Amino acid sequence: MLVRFTPYAMVLPIVLCILAFTYWPILVSFDLSFRHWDFMSSDKPFVGLSNYSELVRSDEFWNSVTITLIFTAISVPLRLALAIAIARYLTTESKTVRALRGAFFLPAVTSSVAIAVIWSWIFSTDAGVANALLNNLGIAKVPWLQTPSLALWVIIIVNTWKQLGYDIVIYVAGLQAIPEDLYEAAKMDGGKRWHTFRRVTFPLVMPTTYFLLIVSVIESFQIFTIVDVMTQGGPAMSTDMMVNMLYRTGFTLFDVGKGSALAVLLFVFLVVLTVLKSRILGKRVHYEH
Amino acid sequence: MTSLKTLAIGAALTVFSLPAWAETDITFWHSFGGGNGKALEQIISDFEKKRPDIKVTAQEIGDYNDIVTKLQAAIPAKRYPDVVLLEITRYGLFAEKGILENLTPYLDKDPLKEQLYNFALDVGKYKGSNYVIPFNSSTPVTYYNKALLRAAGLPDTVPLKNFNDLLGAAKTVQEKLGAQGKFGITPMGQFARWGIVMSNDSDLIDPVSNDVIVDSPKTVAAYEWMADLVRKYKVASVDGITDEDAAKAQFTAGNVAINLDSTGVFGGFKKALGDDLGVAPFPCEAVCRVPIGGAGIGIVSMIDAEKKKAAYDFISYMASPEANAIWFAATGYLPINKKTLDVKVAADAANKDEGITVSIKQIDYARGRPRPPVVTWMRKMEYGVWESVALGQKQVPDALKELAAQTRAQTTN
Repeated sequence: MLVRFTPYAMVLPIVLCILAFTYWPILVSFDLSFRHWDFMSSDKPFVGLSNYSELVRSDEFWNSVTITLIFTAISVPLRLALAIAIARYLTTESKTVRALRGAFFLPAVTSSVAIAVIWSWIFSTDAGVANALLNNLGIAKVPWLQTPSLALWVIIIVNTWKQLGYDIVIYVAGLQAIPEDLYEAAKMDGGKRWHTFRRVTFPLVMPTTYFLLIVSVIESFQIFTIVDVMTQGGPAMSTDMMVNMLYRTGFTLFDVGKGSALAVLLFVFLVVLTVLKSRILGKRVHYEH
Repeated sequence: MTSLKTLAIGAALTVFSLPAWAETDITFWHSFGGGNGKALEQIISDFEKKRPDIKVTAQEIGDYNDIVTKLQAAIPAKRYPDVVLLEITRYGLFAEKGILENLTPYLDKDPLKEQLYNFALDVGKYKGSNYVIPFNSSTPVTYYNKALLRAAGLPDTVPLKNFNDLLGAAKTVQEKLGAQGKFGITPMGQFARWGIVMSNDSDLIDPVSNDVIVDSPKTVAAYEWMADLVRKYKVASVDGITDEDAAKAQFTAGNVAINLDSTGVFGGFKKALGDDLGVAPFPCEAVCRVPIGGAGIGIVSMIDAEKKKAAYDFISYMASPEANAIWFAATGYLPINKKTLDVKVAADAANKDEGITVSIKQIDYARGRPRPPVVTWMRKMEYGVWESVALGQKQVPDALKELAAQTRAQTTN
């Protein structure tokens, strides 16, 4: 009897932790999304779907959804394309390659706040390194973080720089798992580099790509720190991602109900996207000989 | 066994060697780091020496916005501090909700009440009762870099009395030194923006009726002038629009000639620029009127009675002549106690540097700002509005009209 329950007893503490710190807050957030609350009032009146209806009727919400989608649509393919391109050169085992892998991975484990502050300095209009370099080439100063059409690109560059190392490491593992004899066979058949990549490498790292696609889309929808430090969603809301709006609504404007409704909608978006990806790509993920 | 005995004796000795009084611990949330933080530490240390029965745990939370956000989130979690520093236009929100203790009964019994300047008592009042006792009070003043003005061919004593004077000096600096990466003036921070609006004989919220007047013609004109410094005359760096700290940093690095800012940053500016720092009164455009800024200290109403008593003793000491003198001399914030300048350290600071006393001379026409609960919300939204008009993405009248409509709607919610 004791032996039968031992495994359950051993996993019980972590299950309780996950219930308390993950699922319980989700349930509370779901409940709060139907209420009006400002953190301080003792009562939290039930307001039905009004938080949701106010959100979907506001331009601010659709602006943040659009910005987040644009950011995701550009940054995810960019990250994955760069990562696989670089990873191909980092599959061999040598001191230099290991050092390079470490160097690429470093931003992934560096504090997002520190990264955002440093990149803010780099892209500062009047005191930044980027403009100093352009100035040396005779190009006028560019107000990177003050121009709505440029600020989002800066965020994409910084986020790609930060996340690239993680994607590279995962791709390196995927590429190293491809049997060498497949490349030899392709070579003997006269396959060119691009052809080999398209017909051998890419199909065989599809599970890795699929995994990274899921993870990076979720990460892109959850981007917050870099935006909050570098632009606070500005200028003119041009970098106002969904999580930035969520934070502002809930913790700056103290509309906890609407902030929770936004969190629920974000969750729904991510579930729908993941299901869609699974439907569209799921069957193509596993390559069969 | 021997070691157990030793342990028991040690524990007993420790217990019996404790002081006879029970120490009351109070937690204090504030927003001071750097030089100001060190001055605060000294004041708290002096208080603890004077009152060994009270232990103050001071925690730097962040800026004024951060404190509001963290306090609000801490309330339902019951992890609030005992004593909290709140910006002078933002505490109304907490007073309205009953989060702050009404300090009027405490003040009525405290000789401190007679010692405080009227402005200090007034800015701590919400709906007729005192909810905070000011600690760091300030007005905006005009800071200038004498070396940069000289390099641009202007005298140290160039008049900076109204908007035209400021623009003229800024244009000259920009014309002469712009190619070297210097700027005429910093974009206005939010405190200075409010000051410019008041100097143009207007306000964001009517101080008597609490009506939203952020879209009134005079307020719009003031914002037009501030935005034009960046978008039309290009005498101010765009970096300072999206980041007020960047604007300050450019001034302290000696790259900007004029900066309108709180008297509370005097200490830091003086340290950075030394004798090149000049201080002049805030410009008077239509009228001479400046907002009183800074923050006051309040007591969280949910703490127990014993803590409340200790907390009040602490905040009363923070406004005492000896504490206020240290604070004034180290930072440049206004004296709030009539006896502060009688204390040697404050008198020495006032005699040593004329710049530190400029704000004191503005007290006669300094005004507390309206602080209905919606001000906290409105000030947060105003950052984005300023950004959009200064960067030329929206027209000032449209942007302020929109802000006014949203604020009015928020007031009725």
